[in-house]
Amino acid sequence: MEDTKAVPEKKLSRREKRRRYMENMSAEERAYLRRKSVKDKILPFFRFVILAGLSFVILYPLIYMISCAFRERGDMSDPTVMWIPRHYTFDIIRETIDVMDYWDTLKNTVLLNIGCSLVQVAACAVTGYGFARFKFKGKKLLFGIVIMMILVPTQVISLPLYTQFRYFGIKGLFSVNLIDTHFTMYLPAMTANGIRAGLMILIFRQFFKGLPRELEDAAYIDGCGPFMTFVRVMAPNAIPAFLTVFLFSVVWYWNDYYVSNTFFTAPRTVALMLTNLDSQLKIKLFNDPSVQISPREQIVWKEAGCLLSIAPVLLMYVFLQKHFTEGIERSGIVG
Amino acid sequence: MSAKSEAPAEKKRRRMSYEKKKSLYGYGFIGLWLVGTVLFFLIPLGKSLWYSFCDVSVDPGSLKTKFAGFKNYFSVIGEDPYYTEYLGDTLIEALWKTPLILIFSLFIAVLLNQKFRGRTLARAVFFLPVIIATGPVFKIISGDMNSTGNSGAQQFSTMFSTDLVGELMQFLGIYGISDRMSDMISAVADNIFGIVWSSGIQILLFLAALQNIPSSAREAAQLEGATAWEYFWKITFPYVSPFILANLIFTIIDSFTNPMNSVMNRIVSMKNQWEFGAASAMAWIYFGIVLAVITVIAWAIGRFIYYEND
Repeated sequence: MEDTKAVPEKKLSRREKRRRYMENMSAEERAYLRRKSVKDKILPFFRFVILAGLSFVILYPLIYMISCAFRERGDMSDPTVMWIPRHYTFDIIRETIDVMDYWDTLKNTVLLNIGCSLVQVAACAVTGYGFARFKFKGKKLLFGIVIMMILVPTQVISLPLYTQFRYFGIKGLFSVNLIDTHFTMYLPAMTANGIRAGLMILIFRQFFKGLPRELEDAAYIDGCGPFMTFVRVMAPNAIPAFLTVFLFSVVWYWNDYYVSNTFFTAPRTVALMLTNLDSQLKIKLFNDPSVQISPREQIVWKEAGCLLSIAPVLLMYVFLQKHFTEGIERSGIVG
Repeated sequence: MSAKSEAPAEKKRRRMSYEKKKSLYGYGFIGLWLVGTVLFFLIPLGKSLWYSFCDVSVDPGSLKTKFAGFKNYFSVIGEDPYYTEYLGDTLIEALWKTPLILIFSLFIAVLLNQKFRGRTLARAVFFLPVIIATGPVFKIISGDMNSTGNSGAQQFSTMFSTDLVGELMQFLGIYGISDRMSDMISAVADNIFGIVWSSGIQILLFLAALQNIPSSAREAAQLEGATAWEYFWKITFPYVSPFILANLIFTIIDSFTNPMNSVMNRIVSMKNQWEFGAASAMAWIYFGIVLAVITVIAWAIGRFIYYEND
């Protein structure tokens, strides 16, 4: 009994205190506080509504993918099924893995991606450093070419590039057919001319320009040559930038289907597999005349294919999200 | 190292040679890229320019070119049934979509820069398009959105459909605006999917810019009693303005070089029909227009940007 009595008393006294405190204030101050308390409650609400609504727009396709990939195909024609399937199954995923030859393709893609990204990031960093810190004749012109690399869409140069690789070598002396080999991806990557290399050179140039010159001067005085300075002093300072650019590079190589489609005749990367999924499905699954599968029901396999092909990057993103976002903030284009 | 062993008396010569040496090192650093870019960028680029002035025919083993002057260009502009139409569509779409993407991404960046619970999660969701939107998955996803055979997508798009916006406007008592205006608003509502999905990188960049605003500016504004609205226009906006240009150019390039836009599709399909001359001419006209647009915009906007260091 005493306890319950004590609590309202305490509350009252606090309220009293507050009332007295308010009385000491001017009308303006009170109005300000009232406005502030209302604002502090309403703004988060609106923020939440906006962010949640837009997040739904972004996540919608992913949710739809997951919902489709784990249902039986009959559920597609069931009007009562919208999000939550009536019959759960792993068969669709299993079949899609078979059709896409998923594990082999995945291994192939990962090797190609990581290899290309590694050499390309290294090459772009060296080039970007060259543009950031050295004066030489024709630098402006050459940097103009870098900007051109960003502006020119790959579609413009893909055909001549194809002939370039088809007859690679010195005219009249020898030529090799590089089409369908990994060299078509590795050679441009190695020489900082791969997918979106122009952008990466630009990012590294900006980044190295932002590092203090004193770092290098100290190294020079200690008797380091420029190359050693780059390797020993500048590169270690650039590790966050390296990581961010590397991650983006992996994503861009992963998502590329245009360039690899030009150079590979067989669909050997995940992205190519996905673009060819329709025809592959027709050959391997829908060929059976005993089963009739309507176009609506085919969506199930397509969504499963989508899910499978983004799952690896999605996983990478979930674990390395910090490096994607904070790396850009700390390095690169800022400045 | 050899510069050091030379006689120290000849100071001027040594300095010169050091400068020269440094410039040589510069070439050393960019050498690899230079070789690659000649092989894999400049030569193909030149070739495609050459093709655009030629009749190109395919022989087994090689391409035959015969100089034809501007014939390809005239036929592409004058005779091709789709090209000019697609070109117009793409340009107009980029024209209204780009400012929307910029405004939207700045708005979202400001929201995501505030402190609230679940901010990390919200950021992760909004950057998600960055890793998906360049790939074939996005092609299929946006196909879902457009195709009517998909019940989910249909329901989804009706959520933002014209009717809803119209109803809302009527409810608010807004009747008098012109058709064009209401068309525009409904277009925005219909395209919210495309806009949200193509502004990942832009949000990222704006967020980086916002975090670069020094806290002293913020404190000063608070001391002076600036409202949020004033703070945005007097502090946030000037600090972010260099990034608006960067983002603008990025958005334009992104939308023009998007392999899903109709001009690109047309170019690729011409290529698949082995019409290399016409395809190259199309690509070069398109590229010329894009370059002109970017130059004009960079020049026009560059005059209004506030640089802190200047």
